[in-house]
Amino acid sequence: MASKQVLPNRTYILHLYRSLLRASQKFSSYNFRDYAYRKIRDSYHVNKNETDSDRIIQLVGKAERELGVLKRQGYLNSLYSVDRLVVEEES
Amino acid sequence: MNRFVPETLFRLKPAGFSIFQQKNFIKPALTLLSSSNNIHSPKSKIIGTSQQRYYSAESGLSRQNIESRIIDIVKAFDKVDETKVNSEARFADDLGLDSLDTVEVVMNIEEDFSIEIPDKEADEIRSIKDAVDYIAKREDAH
Repeated sequence: MASKQVLPNRTYILHLYRSLLRASQKFSSYNFRDYAYRKIRDSYHVNKNETDSDRIIQLVGKAERELGVLKRQGYLNSLYSVDRLVVEEES
Repeated sequence: MNRFVPETLFRLKPAGFSIFQQKNFIKPALTLLSSSNNIHSPKSKIIGTSQQRYYSAESGLSRQNIESRIIDIVKAFDKVDETKVNSEARFADDLGLDSLDTVEVVMNIEEDFSIEIPDKEADEIRSIKDAVDYIAKREDAH
């Protein structure tokens, strides 16, 4: 969606972040869910000070593709029930 | 209606009578329904929604309850200095959270109150007070 010239604005990037985090919670399997959440968080925090516009465009493109993957896989995963792990019992 | 017909039907065919009876029963019931709909339709709509609101208001949360829960969520966030958290604290200025952290805190609040906050409204939440106001507005929060 983002064309190669336009630098995505801050609001768009934050909305993408929220969509990614939300999509990560759709997994029914704890390991996938937790991995996706952590990975998104970490990647965003690592790159939060990025100023190079080419790099930002590249990263946003990556995030968009990953969001697609997450949505598909999260949905597929939610179709299958899995036993809750011991670590999940507390919540 | 013709009194003769049901009586003969009743004598000869009890099953037929019951069908006749059903027809007779359905007809007035339908006219009653449609007439009540015509006359009271705005009223019944109001009753419907007010009942729904009543139910959600029953499980409604008090402001203190919302506030203490939100404060707990914010305190539980690993980057927050617990001593700085109060009901007026702003995420960015008082608690030193950046925009990414704010998104995460708002997401945690969403999860705790089992609601989904649309992006536009989530962007407006910049302090604990904003969050409390928003949750208090949402009737489906619990």
